[in-house]
Amino acid sequence: MRMGHELIKEQLFFRKELIERVAWFIHLRWLFICAGFVGSIAGYLIWRPFPHIFFLTVFLCIAVYNIVFYRIYVKLSAKPSQDEKSYALFAHSQIVLDLLALGLIIHFTGGVYSPFLFFILFHIIIAGILLSPASCFVYGGIMPAALGMIVFLQHLGLLDRQPVLFSSASVVQASDTQTLFLLILDTAIILVTAALTTTIKISLRIKGRELLSVSKELTAQNKKLNSLYEMVKEMGIRTGLQELMDAATRQGTQIMGVKACAIKLLDDQRRKLRFVSTYGLSGDYIAKGTVDIEKSIINRKIIEGSVYAVGQIHEKDQFQYPEEMQKEGIASMVCLPLRVEKMIFGVFCVYSDTSHAFQESDIRFFSLMSDLTAIFIENLKSELNKTWFLQKTAHQLRSPLNAVHSMLSTMRKGYIGGIDPRQEETLMRCEKRIESLGSLIGDLLGLSIRRVGMDQKKMVPVNIGQVVERLLLMYRAQADEKNIHIIHSIPESLPAVLGDNILFDDLFTNLISNAVKYTQKGGSIQITIQPESSERIRFEIKDTGIGIPEEEVPHLFMEFFRGQNAKATTEEGTGLGLVIVKEILDQLNGTIQVKSTVGKGTCMTIRLPAVS
Amino acid sequence: MDKETDILIIDDDKDLVGSMRIVLESKGYHVRIAHESKAGYARIQEKTPDLIILDVMMTSDTEGFDLAFKLRNQPDYEAVPILMVTSFPKHMAEQGPEKFQHIMGEEWPVTKFLEKPIDPEQLLDSIASLLQGD
Repeated sequence: MRMGHELIKEQLFFRKELIERVAWFIHLRWLFICAGFVGSIAGYLIWRPFPHIFFLTVFLCIAVYNIVFYRIYVKLSAKPSQDEKSYALFAHSQIVLDLLALGLIIHFTGGVYSPFLFFILFHIIIAGILLSPASCFVYGGIMPAALGMIVFLQHLGLLDRQPVLFSSASVVQASDTQTLFLLILDTAIILVTAALTTTIKISLRIKGRELLSVSKELTAQNKKLNSLYEMVKEMGIRTGLQELMDAATRQGTQIMGVKACAIKLLDDQRRKLRFVSTYGLSGDYIAKGTVDIEKSIINRKIIEGSVYAVGQIHEKDQFQYPEEMQKEGIASMVCLPLRVEKMIFGVFCVYSDTSHAFQESDIRFFSLMSDLTAIFIENLKSELNKTWFLQKTAHQLRSPLNAVHSMLSTMRKGYIGGIDPRQEETLMRCEKRIESLGSLIGDLLGLSIRRVGMDQKKMVPVNIGQVVERLLLMYRAQADEKNIHIIHSIPESLPAVLGDNILFDDLFTNLISNAVKYTQKGGSIQITIQPESSERIRFEIKDTGIGIPEEEVPHLFMEFFRGQNAKATTEEGTGLGLVIVKEILDQLNGTIQVKSTVGKGTCMTIRLPAVS
Repeated sequence: MDKETDILIIDDDKDLVGSMRIVLESKGYHVRIAHESKAGYARIQEKTPDLIILDVMMTSDTEGFDLAFKLRNQPDYEAVPILMVTSFPKHMAEQGPEKFQHIMGEEWPVTKFLEKPIDPEQLLDSIASLLQGD
């Protein structure tokens, strides 16, 4: 298939050259005709015996057939499928007619002594460029033969000798030997020209062919590299391992135009390979189960360190499941290691429905692809592990706190025995301090995960109105306790905001809890969500709380900063809430604006980009 | 309160288990204890409890989940309500590493979640509602 395709591409390339030259030939002829007309008249003016009528008639004939050629050319180039044969025929007919016209001119201007003899060379060169070497030599042979024939007929007296242009003698007075010598010399010049032209043309064509194949190779490589770049880009944005591997198998299948791709990972004992991601394989095929590397030679080779392994379905002993593969329509496959440095952790497999489908260059490319996939998998794994480490650290820190808290509340609530009000109060304070330590751990963890950029989330369109309503339900009891009235105005339908539910939870939790925390008993909180334009949504939370001193507003988004009056109001508060808010807003491309008057209240306005 | 109601707590934090036990016994529940899932499963096999209080991270990170899945897949135990107590909120599991991905996309195998620290009243309310089959 590939060979045939390349041949067609090559033909296309040379056909294009032929078509261009034919057009160039027609244009050149117009110049020649013009020069001919002018030359005939000039010749007549200079030298009265000049056969201008004959010349003008010949050039007129040339002009007529050139018009015909031009029309044929226009017609041919309008055809969608330009076929090389008709162009070659076209080129032949032009050369034949030109040579005929030239023959006439040569004959009537002195035969072998004609000054126009050299024009034969131009035609030989043109034939050599446009047509096959054989055609060039045929024309190169016909012309001297025709000349020879004229000389022979003149020798026999069957044809009149014609006067040479601008010569005082009416006919050339030369001996037959002289004429023969000239004829042989002309023939030699013509044939040497034909030989040189065709040799140069052949070598040019070889160079052209080489260039074409290099350019084809480069185009193909470029296409592959571009696809690889797309693949890398897609793998780069994946935040889940499964998604990442699915992207790799899908892209691998599409880029290389194969039947299917699969990623199989080694189990802990390094004895079995489990399909973790496939593209193009049926569920039945995958359901055959894990691959035992003892039973599958092709896979074992990879695990044992081969750079790649190619298998054809008829080599049944290579595979653990040859029947299933046959049923699936797999004819050949390549396996490549998924490895980072020397550690092989899986196999990247490429399946084809034709046998011997993989060439050396394909395999090199697959190898690059599997190496990149392996690096991405390992990288993501290590990122996930870092996040996991932080989360586990937080868990370990929280566990003793939770136990202490549970024990304290069990004691405070009298399950262990009666306690007096002062003891209860003290225990209550202990619980509160432990709770704030718990939130500090939570906030620190959230921040560190965000700061190291490990929480790339799936951004999905979210209705922030629903998030806020849900959170308000949770804060209702706390607000009721302080007799705070919460008014909210949230339109039923809102444009969505691109983000992640956890981010929005953290964002609005911090804002609402601040408002509840710093609003005194009997106060009110007003929450409004409004689309500001088709591109932006505004969330506003306005309280009648303690407010923020003006000089402290610039410090609000600094770690561990807490306003003087805030500290005086409550012990609770980590000084990280607004830092988290700011970082989340940065992540969501949002902004925040703070307006506050001490003793009157605070209004925080958030603007988020909406998705249409 | 029904003296016969048998609650099995599987959690490796002995202090936490201790305070839960005090709270539960004060309401007349019969409490049995295991500190890891294997021992917990053995207790379940000895006698099917009326309710299981289960921690997530014990010896291994997913031990609680693994046991819950195991129980859900056994006809004898699939109806036993499981109250999962954890200081490992659900959203952490969603972000968690590879080992948690097998859980994602499946139904959580537990009846109810309770986040640590455990408030005695909340614990009792949750248990009461689970036992009533809510």
